[in-house]
Amino acid sequence: MNASLGGLLALGSGYLLLLFLGALAIERQWIPTRIARHPVVYTLALGVYASAWAIYGSLELAGNAGYGYLAYYLGVAGAFLLAPVLLVPIQRMTRTYQLASLADLFAFRFRSRWVGTLITLISLLAVLPLLALQVQTLGDTIALLTGTARPALLALLFCALIALFAILFGARHTRLHARHDTLLAVIALESLVKLTAMLTLGAFALFVVFDGPADLQAWLDGPGRAAQLGIAQLDPAQWRTLLLLFFAAAFLMPHMFHITFAETLSRRTLLQAAWSLPLFLLLMALPVPLILWASQRLGVDAGGLGTAYLAYGLSESLWLQGVVFIAGLAATSGTMIIISLALSGMILNHLVLVAHPPVDQPDLYRWLRWLRRALIVAVILGGWLFYRLVGVNHDLTTLGLAAFIGIAQFLPGMLALLYWPGANRKGMVSGLTAGGLVWLAGTWVPLLSDIPALVLLPPGLEVLAGEPVWYVVTLVSLAANILTLILVSLITPTSAGERAAAEACSVDAVIRPKRLPLVAGNGEEFKHHLARALGEEVASREVDRALTDLGLSPLDGRPYALRRLRDRIQANLSGLMGPSVAQDIVDRYLPYRRGGLEPNDDVQFVESRLEAYRTRLTGLARELDGLRRYHRRILTRLPVGLCAFGADDELLMWNDALAELSGIEGNSVIGARRDGLPPPWEALLGRVLLEHHDHLYKQPVTLDGTTRYLSLHKAALEVDEEVRGGTVILVEDHSEMKWLEDELVHAARLASIGQLAAGVAHEIGNPVTGISSLAQNLRYDTDDPEVLESATQIQQLTDRITRIVESLVGFAHGGRHVTGQPFAPVPLANLIDEALHLIHLARSREDIHYHNRCPAGLEVKGDAQRLLQVMVNLLGNARDASAPGGEVTIDAAPQDGWLHVTVTDQGHGIDEWVRDHLFEPFTTTKPPGEGTGLGLPLVYSIIAEHGGQIDIDSPPPGQAKGTRINLWLPLNPEHGECTDEPDPDR
Amino acid sequence: MYVYRIMLFLVFGGYLLSPLLMSGWASPEVAWYRPFVIWGVLIALTLWLEQKRKLDER
Repeated sequence: MNASLGGLLALGSGYLLLLFLGALAIERQWIPTRIARHPVVYTLALGVYASAWAIYGSLELAGNAGYGYLAYYLGVAGAFLLAPVLLVPIQRMTRTYQLASLADLFAFRFRSRWVGTLITLISLLAVLPLLALQVQTLGDTIALLTGTARPALLALLFCALIALFAILFGARHTRLHARHDTLLAVIALESLVKLTAMLTLGAFALFVVFDGPADLQAWLDGPGRAAQLGIAQLDPAQWRTLLLLFFAAAFLMPHMFHITFAETLSRRTLLQAAWSLPLFLLLMALPVPLILWASQRLGVDAGGLGTAYLAYGLSESLWLQGVVFIAGLAATSGTMIIISLALSGMILNHLVLVAHPPVDQPDLYRWLRWLRRALIVAVILGGWLFYRLVGVNHDLTTLGLAAFIGIAQFLPGMLALLYWPGANRKGMVSGLTAGGLVWLAGTWVPLLSDIPALVLLPPGLEVLAGEPVWYVVTLVSLAANILTLILVSLITPTSAGERAAAEACSVDAVIRPKRLPLVAGNGEEFKHHLARALGEEVASREVDRALTDLGLSPLDGRPYALRRLRDRIQANLSGLMGPSVAQDIVDRYLPYRRGGLEPNDDVQFVESRLEAYRTRLTGLARELDGLRRYHRRILTRLPVGLCAFGADDELLMWNDALAELSGIEGNSVIGARRDGLPPPWEALLGRVLLEHHDHLYKQPVTLDGTTRYLSLHKAALEVDEEVRGGTVILVEDHSEMKWLEDELVHAARLASIGQLAAGVAHEIGNPVTGISSLAQNLRYDTDDPEVLESATQIQQLTDRITRIVESLVGFAHGGRHVTGQPFAPVPLANLIDEALHLIHLARSREDIHYHNRCPAGLEVKGDAQRLLQVMVNLLGNARDASAPGGEVTIDAAPQDGWLHVTVTDQGHGIDEWVRDHLFEPFTTTKPPGEGTGLGLPLVYSIIAEHGGQIDIDSPPPGQAKGTRINLWLPLNPEHGECTDEPDPDR
Repeated sequence: MYVYRIMLFLVFGGYLLSPLLMSGWASPEVAWYRPFVIWGVLIALTLWLEQKRKLDER
């Protein structure tokens, strides 16, 4: 090879510099966010799976096992095809509980820090050969291209640059479980580089070395056939085992788990990767045999170059060798960056923080950040050391398989986590230890020295003797792992905490947490309690963050809200320092209050989870959930107020009607205790809950400044094994009925007063007639002008008394219309005069000026007394609405067979919201106690009896304020003509 | 969920029958690109199932 050392360094450094610039462009948003967050970027970022193995190892495997190299791609493609049943449930758990790594997930599920520690140790041991493989390809290609004797030092230089990049763009946030757009986009860019380089190499092989697909096929059928026949094909069982290893690696390898689950991406994006990642891998895999066959045709010396590096032999041209080198560097750097980030988090949470809990750290966030950066450097340095000390003695396939078999030991535990709630921590630790020991003895330890692989074949598996070591070790270790996990889990007890966590993790189970009260009473108290562990500043920030996440107020004291707050704080702390430490802190500093009643299921929370799971339910479960939702909707939409309390006085339901009546939204009170409800509900509901009576009728309650009368009915929810205890309360608003009753009493009283007045008027009539007769006689008996004047005045006054008495008697009798009685012609002008006369009698607001502009001679057909009542009511309303000195005008004019009568005032007018309800009983614009709200309904009813219509303009057209009542009454056809001009001041 | 069952069937069926993919490496009767074509068909099938699932969940 003819590349210079300086040129290669410049090419490698230039590529890494390009990555830095790319990252900077995304961070400064020179590249739009919509591009950086596009689903294609995520798919390409998942391409981090295609490590140096995909560039070099696959070629080596294809040279040794033909299409067997496809196992590396098909295994991961299979795992992503199963995304809906395999990856989506894991994603849901990691997001809900802020679990950033496989160790976090297992420690959470099995409620054991030892499980997390064990997973971390095995991951570290398994990943070291994979890291060494990456560095080794770097060292080998540097040596190959430049002929330098010290490629390891140059590889170390590249490792340092990669570590710097990981620190700068991957470890800026303290939280592991956060989306790093910059990092994802850069890894996607690396995948794009790998893909382009591989496709270029494949195209070169197919169209430059061969003369197209037909020439390739002809070569394979002819001269190339001998070379292909020399390749030993994998035994089907070995092939399947290889597929299984790569299937497990797809989501259990630390870097794959990190990209797939720790970077918070949407479920939709993950499901899209089910087909897009296999497509990416197909394109990556396609050029591999082409490169192999092209190098065979060209007669490249596989012995001297190494099968893995045959691509460098395709051409002597520098650009093609540069393409191969960049493809390898892109694969290596991407894998190392993500592995170092993932492993540093696991080591931090499950080794460092467990050994040295971060209690009383003055600046916790900064401490965690620097610790993580140091661990990133340590992991990459560890990979380089493993390459220097161990890797150089082995080929890529051996190193890679050692890593993949180690990672496959997590597969039984992961399947148990998802699908077997019966598995427990003892089973998990025992199984992992058994499988891990077989792997270490059979594959890992032999890497370190010349010690031959130590694999003891159990009875019955002697048939495996003579098979390849990797194959035997995989089968024996997984068998030992699975059997031990099952047996130990079956014979040892499972703790309650583990059972709860198992339900939370299991695919088909719904978590059923209990309604336990907390010692802390609100968000502020949470801060105070947590400050003892985290310091005041960190505690305050964490509690505020959780409150913001949940949209809660710091003073919200609802037990339900506090339980959710505690869960959220635990999840957030888990993202910061792992689930084990987070659980310890929360259990110790935010404890539940013990004692009292047996805790019930947290119904509200269970329901919210069921809502979230809805799309996952099928068959009978889906039908039952549909029924549950239907019944819930019945209760929610019930047009009567309904609330339900648990046996511990916690509010479980507050339906829409009650929310409307009380003005309190259900979401703000559900989950509160009864004594935490706002007044007057606390006392009112307390009365019905504590009293022995099941019903309370017409309880006066002040709501929005008005008194309402509520009736409450309660029923106990029986307690047995199936049904949860508590009380359900119906709240009926009987205010209108109460008002109606009061008005009826009032109306009855008025009626009796009316009867009395009519009687009194009748009694007054006789003496007044006597006085009038005496005055008449007096006029006949004297000629004295003064006496005559007095007698005339006495007669005028008695006439006036008579008119008053007649009006009063007429009005008292006018409240009832005799059905079937024919209507008579009524002179409207006279009717209005009489109404005005009655209004004046009231002696109230005498400064109002009335103008009767109704022309004389206009008649309507109707009941004079009832029409008089209409006019009295309308004029009374106009008077009450007018300002002192105001004017009220009555007009009338014939209109198409009707008589259009208007009563117009210049008063304050009527609000729009009241206008639509004015003809409904008890609607009034007058101050409380002054109006009954029955006047206009009565008017409406009388006008309707006459076949007329009534309408309101407020303000009237052409007026700034005031009200105009429009009446249309049937015109009397015989006397309906206007005979003279109206008298404006009648 | 029924779509998921089809996927499970496909993946486990493919796992068991996958050794058949490899037999063509040195066989003159089989085109060299056959495994990739089968793989491509599987991807197209998954894409179709994914679209179907989206419709189901709407």
